[in-house]
Formats: sequence, C-alpha cells, structure tokens
Amino acid sequence: MTSAFPSLPRRPTLPSISATKSPSIYLRSSSTALVHSSVSSLNSLFANSSSIPPGSTGDEDCKSLILRAFVPHVAVHVSDDTNELAREKGFVDFKEMLRPYGEDIPGRITIRDSQGISSSYEDYGIRFVSLNDVAASGEKWETMASRIVNGSSTSEKPDSKDGVFQGGSIEEVEELVNLHMERAEELSGAGLSPGGDGPGGRSFYTLYLRRLLSALPLSPHETFPHPVACVIAISSRNTSPIETLRNLYTSGSQVSLPNYVNTDYLRYYVLVHDEDRDEIKKSNALFDQMKKHFGLHCHLLRLRSGGRAVISDDDAIVVPKTQWISAAQELTEINSKDADYGEEQPALCLPDSDATGLQTMVREMAQVSVIPFMERCVATWNDQVASRRRGLSGRFLSMSKRYFGSSSSRNSTSASNYDPLTASYHPSTPEAQMRKLADYAFLLRDWRLAHGVYELLRTDFNNDKAWKYHAGAQEMAAISLILTGTGLTSKVRADTITPMLDLSTYSYLARCSSTYSALRALLVSVELLRLRGGGAADEAAIWATRARDMLTAGSIAHALVTERVGACYSVREGVGTGAWGARKRKAAMWKMLAAGEWLDAGKLQMSRRCLDVTLEVYEGTGFGHVGEFIEVVKKHAGYTPLIDVHGGHGDGSSGEEEDEEEEEEESVEVQSEMLDAGSKRKSVIGGVVRPELLEVEANKGVDDSFVTES
Amino acid sequence: MSFYFAIVGTKDNPLYEAEFGTSKQGGDGVARFREEQRPMNQFIVHSSLDIIEEVQWASSTMYMKCVDRFNNLFVSCFLTAGNIKFLLLHDTKADDAIRQFFTDVYELYAKTLMNPFYEIDMKVTSIVFDSRVRGAAKKYL
Repeated sequence: MTSAFPSLPRRPTLPSISATKSPSIYLRSSSTALVHSSVSSLNSLFANSSSIPPGSTGDEDCKSLILRAFVPHVAVHVSDDTNELAREKGFVDFKEMLRPYGEDIPGRITIRDSQGISSSYEDYGIRFVSLNDVAASGEKWETMASRIVNGSSTSEKPDSKDGVFQGGSIEEVEELVNLHMERAEELSGAGLSPGGDGPGGRSFYTLYLRRLLSALPLSPHETFPHPVACVIAISSRNTSPIETLRNLYTSGSQVSLPNYVNTDYLRYYVLVHDEDRDEIKKSNALFDQMKKHFGLHCHLLRLRSGGRAVISDDDAIVVPKTQWISAAQELTEINSKDADYGEEQPALCLPDSDATGLQTMVREMAQVSVIPFMERCVATWNDQVASRRRGLSGRFLSMSKRYFGSSSSRNSTSASNYDPLTASYHPSTPEAQMRKLADYAFLLRDWRLAHGVYELLRTDFNNDKAWKYHAGAQEMAAISLILTGTGLTSKVRADTITPMLDLSTYSYLARCSSTYSALRALLVSVELLRLRGGGAADEAAIWATRARDMLTAGSIAHALVTERVGACYSVREGVGTGAWGARKRKAAMWKMLAAGEWLDAGKLQMSRRCLDVTLEVYEGTGFGHVGEFIEVVKKHAGYTPLIDVHGGHGDGSSGEEEDEEEEEEESVEVQSEMLDAGSKRKSVIGGVVRPELLEVEANKGVDDSFVTES
Repeated sequence: MSFYFAIVGTKDNPLYEAEFGTSKQGGDGVARFREEQRPMNQFIVHSSLDIIEEVQWASSTMYMKCVDRFNNLFVSCFLTAGNIKFLLLHDTKADDAIRQFFTDVYELYAKTLMNPFYEIDMKVTSIVFDSRVRGAAKKYL
C-alpha cells in the first residue's frame, strides 16, 4: 500500500480534543512575565491556554455524536420468509430487528488506516437500511420544488405511508423537538420531572443535532448514505434456498438505485436458522454449501422461533431503542402512540440467545467483512485513482484539461466527467471514485487521508462547476481537518477553515439552495470547533451566528442555536486572577437573547432556564435598557426570583435588587407564605416554581390533576 | 448613521451614556435607533468588554480601534490609564475620526476626574460634560 502522506506523523489513538499547545514559554509564567512579554506571545497565550478539561463528559458526547452520525450504511435485502420470521417476533421486518444492534457494536472495533496502523474504537456502529428504501428515496428531499414543477407533487404523501422515512428536513426536526419540548413542559408542569431536558436527560440541542444528522438523505454529492454492503438473508424455512439467494442477488442488483450510487458493494449472505422448527444439521449443510458458493462473507444466524417474547420471560431482554431514526419516523411513531390514547405498547423483547446471536452477527460482519472490505477499497483507490491524480502527470492532466480542454472545445463534454443534466458524476469516473475514497476514509476515521483527498477534490469540482460536489468537498475538508487533531492556530483557522466553510455554505445556499446541507455543515463544524476550545471556540460562535441567520427568526431552531452561541462562548476560560480572555459577558448576552426568543416561541420553561444561568452576570447592571429588557423577560416567563441562591432571604446585593424582589413578591403573594413555611427556594435548573401552578395547588390541595398552561 | 457612546467604569458600570447621529453629509446629529435596538446596543457594548479585556494586553496604544462586531455594528474602544473604557458603537468604519473624538472625550474625562467631588466609578452627570461630548461628536462624527 502506498502511503498517501508518508511524512505526516500518525497518532495511535483518537486525537485528543484539547488544542495542542504551542511551545510558548509564557504559558505557565507568572503575572510578572505577563508584563514583560511581547505582544505576540500574549496572543498565543490567549489563543491556546484555555483548552477544555477532558473531564467534561457532555462535550465528549457531542463529538461522539458526530462521529456516530457518519458510519457505514448497510443495505438489507431479504427473502419473504426471513421477514416473516422477524414479524413473528414482533418486528416490522428483518431490517428493523437488526437495526438496534448495529447502532452500538459492543466491544472495540479495530480499523487499520492507510499507514497500516491499527486503532480501535469503542463507539463504532453500522446503520442498516432497507435496499428498497434506498432506491425509493433518491434525491427527493431537496428537490421538492422541481418535483412540484414536474407535476408529481401528489406522490409525496404515499411515500411516507410506504414507510420510507428520510432525514434532511429541517422542518420535521423542528416539529419533533417542539413536540418533545411540549411534553417536557407538561411533565415538569405537573411536577413529574425536573424539566428542561430532552428525552433521556439530554439537552434539546443534542436531540436537535442528532435528528438533523439522522437518516442522512441520499444524494449524489456525498456517499455516506450510499450502501457499503448489502445483507442478503434467507431463512431455513425456505424450500429452495440457493435458488432464492440467487434470485435475491439478481433482484438486489436490479433494484433501481439512482444512477450515481455505486452498485459495487459487498454482498453478505446470512442464513437465519429457526432453532425450534428446523434441524440444525440441515442448516449446517446448507451453510457449508453457501460458503462454498459465496466465499467467506456468510453467517449462520440461529434464532428461536417461538413468537413474541415478553418481558416476564426468564431470559427475555428488551431490545434497545433505535437512536438514529429520522425525525419523520419518530413523529409518526409518536402520533400513532397518541392515537392509541397512550396505551403503553409492551417493549419489544428478544430471548437472550437471540440478542447475543444478533450482536455477534453484526459485530462479526463489521469486523471481518465490512471494514476490511472498505480498507481494501481505500487502498485500491488510493493506489490507482488518487495517486495518479496526485502525481505529476495527474497534475499536468488536470491543468491541461483546464487550459486547453475548455478553450478548444467549450461545448464538448469530454473535457469534464460532470454531467450537468443530472448534476452528478457517474460512479465510474475518477472524481466520483475519489469522493468515495475520501468518504470511506472518513468513515474509517482516517482523517488525514480523507482530508488530503477532499483537498484534491475541491479544485476539481470547482473547475467542473459541480457546485454541490464542491460545497460538499469544502465542508468535509474543513471537518476532517478539525478532526485530524493538528493544532488549529489562528492562522490555520483564518487561512483554511474559514474560507472553506464560507465557500461551502455559499455554494450550498446560493448555488444549490440546499439549506439543510448548509446548516448541517455549519452545526457540525461549530460543535467540533467548540470542542477545541480557545480561539476556536470564538470561531465556533461566529459560525453558529451564521447558522442562526439561516434559520427563520422566532422558530425553535433559531432559539436553540442562539443558546448554542452562548454555549460556544462559555467554553472559553480566562487566564489569571481577572479571568482575562473569558467570554462570560458574551455568553450571557446570547443566553439572554435566547431567553427572549424562547419567550417568543412560547417556551417559558426554556426561557426560565436561560434566565437561571445569565441573571448572575446582569445582576444590578447599570445599563438601563438592558435592565428593562431583563425585567420584561422575567415577567413574561413567570420567573420567580431565586432568593436563597445568594444566602439570606431578600438579601439583595444592591438597593435596586431589593426593590425588584419586593415587587415580585407582591405579585406572587399566594405562594410566598407557603414556600417560606416549607422548603427552601433553591434554584434547581428548570425546577422553578410557577405562580399559576402554585395558586392552583393552593386551591385544590394535593390534587395533581392536569394543569393547563395559561 | 447612528452612534451609541458609553463610558464604562471598572466594575462594568456605565458612567455616561449618549446617543447621537452623524453630523456629516447633512446629518442632523440625531440618533435613529429603533426602540428594540436600544437594549441590543447595551448588550453589544457590554459583551464587547470581554474582548477588550483580552485585547488590552496586546495593544500598545490606548485607542484599540475596532475591537468587536455584531452583525453590521462595530465597537471601538479607548481604554484610559485608569481602566475606564470609552466604547463607541457605530455602523461604518472611520478610525481616524473616532480617534479624534475619543481624544477629546479623554480630555474632558480627565478634567472631570480633577473635580474633588468626583470619585472614580461615579456617574458623570455634569451638563457641561454632556454638551461638550456632544460638541465633539458633532465635530468629528
């Protein structure tokens, strides 16, 4: 294997999130050194020293979330009898049975990168999709307008009825988050949960990001959602197994995938053995036959047949919930659950042996077949396609194409492989192969190789005026550069990352009118930059403001991103006694603005949460208009002053504050006695007592009937 | 073109605030901020203090030019020797004019400081000071 970048040193493990420190001697120097140090070293001091402590788990979460959003997709194409078997167990089909187990592969997965160095990852996964869904989805997601023009606008609804759910819709994600938020407000209103958190205790922003990255829509410009492999499965119930497999193979190849999807994926054959009904001997014989026919990529999955398992069974295990479903699907699920009047559907269960069987199969498939297959592809393409392009002749070729090809034969298509009609490259063209190479390298977390190839592609796509490809390559080049873990000096950021993201969003928005892709590019880079801390966090905040401008004002997403800008700023820590270089006030401003926006969106709970964290900064502020603004927000959000936070009751730090507290107490006189008599008024985030609620409670006693929002 | 000018004390407390419009190009010197912009102005100026605290160590002059921006608004800063910040929010770049304005205001502020009844971080309420600042704004901005 020829190495793409022999000179670059490799890291054996995941690059750490902390920004690499430049060897500035002033980093650990005392304040006396501060005075004498030169201007440039001070800059570096502020730029580098405030990296985040690695202990902050919530932040690691975000990176892991992004990494897990980009995992290989595996199509599933199975015989009817296999689906039947899964249906008997209570699943919709075989794919649904596999899917939860693919999301989090137990144990470590070892991947060899282009340098031949192995590293293993805890949080690797595989996403199972139905082959027919892939074929059906096409690129309908961003070309709604063109579809309406073509007169096929009516076909949109039946699609979702068929169960083809696709991500890539900002509106659906927002609707979903809105729904979750309303539920959370109701719950906390009834005093059932601490509120303010999304399902599972995560923040709503994480939910938003996750759903935005779930079910990546199929599109020509990136190959992440394109299938890497295809599972072809039959069950032992089948009477003519080899025949069926052959049929599945041909029908699988004939499924009308969009032209730009490479059909050269790995086929993985699975024989599902029904433990109770069929003989293992027969299945073993069949499996041997399969191995002889199809080679190594086979698996014998032994499942019990006995119908649906219930939680009360001895060895039943609850099937984990699928985390990465599209927003549309989750919405449909919630709606159908509501239609049943909240009747709890029993959780899906599988016998222990089945669950382990599925886990083993997925793990083996990933470790033994899919990943080595991808590694081989990367090696081959790197050798044959990329190195040719990278070499002297390749450079000359592309240059001559640019200077002579375009001038001599402007109308001939031979100069470029890009097909402007379908706005895509055919999978056999070197450009498409290189993109696939880069994407595979990205999926295998070989950031350096990926970054190198994206860099090459940027110029190619630009020359061909393949704008969407161009935007995609810029986006991924920036993201993979941040992920390589090299030090992001302010120069690198200004010269490389900023223009890349700039061009990417510009191309996505202005040339392809693809808001979803632009938003995704921005939010992913924001999260990654934010994790680098220091000056990169400032940049993250700036990009987050850009993302905020893209969203419609007054919407939930807008408020969420506004809050995130604040979170980006609050990552920065200051130095010295004065905490110079921190962004306390900036963070407070954005959080306060978010509080106002939550109010506009009608989410009082969220607004109060924002107030909780910011009020400290603006306490007793001399800025009159700011004070008024805060008072208005406080009043509308029904925020009760948190007296006990600062020690004694009503012991405000300034005269002004005391006045304001008295005012508030007058308006909520009913509960003030109750609270004084009862517990301390402590500020648990989100656990704020609302006056309306308390009034109702005071009237009704300990009646926990449903309280409506006023 | 409208300006928002604030003198901020050592404890992030505003000592003096003023709004004025441009007097150049036939402007009447009256600020045209919409009502909802007023709290934003103060938020922006307040939040730019973060940046100033960082930049002040690297700057060799008192006038730090434009330190921060918010959408299309810029914040210019002049840091006095006593850690009092002059902050001007403006929507067009005019480094030199702002420098002259700040220099004039610095002189006025230094004179205020010489008042034996004035202490650091006290609000500046003098009408003369106000009219002189407005005069400087009219002259340069």
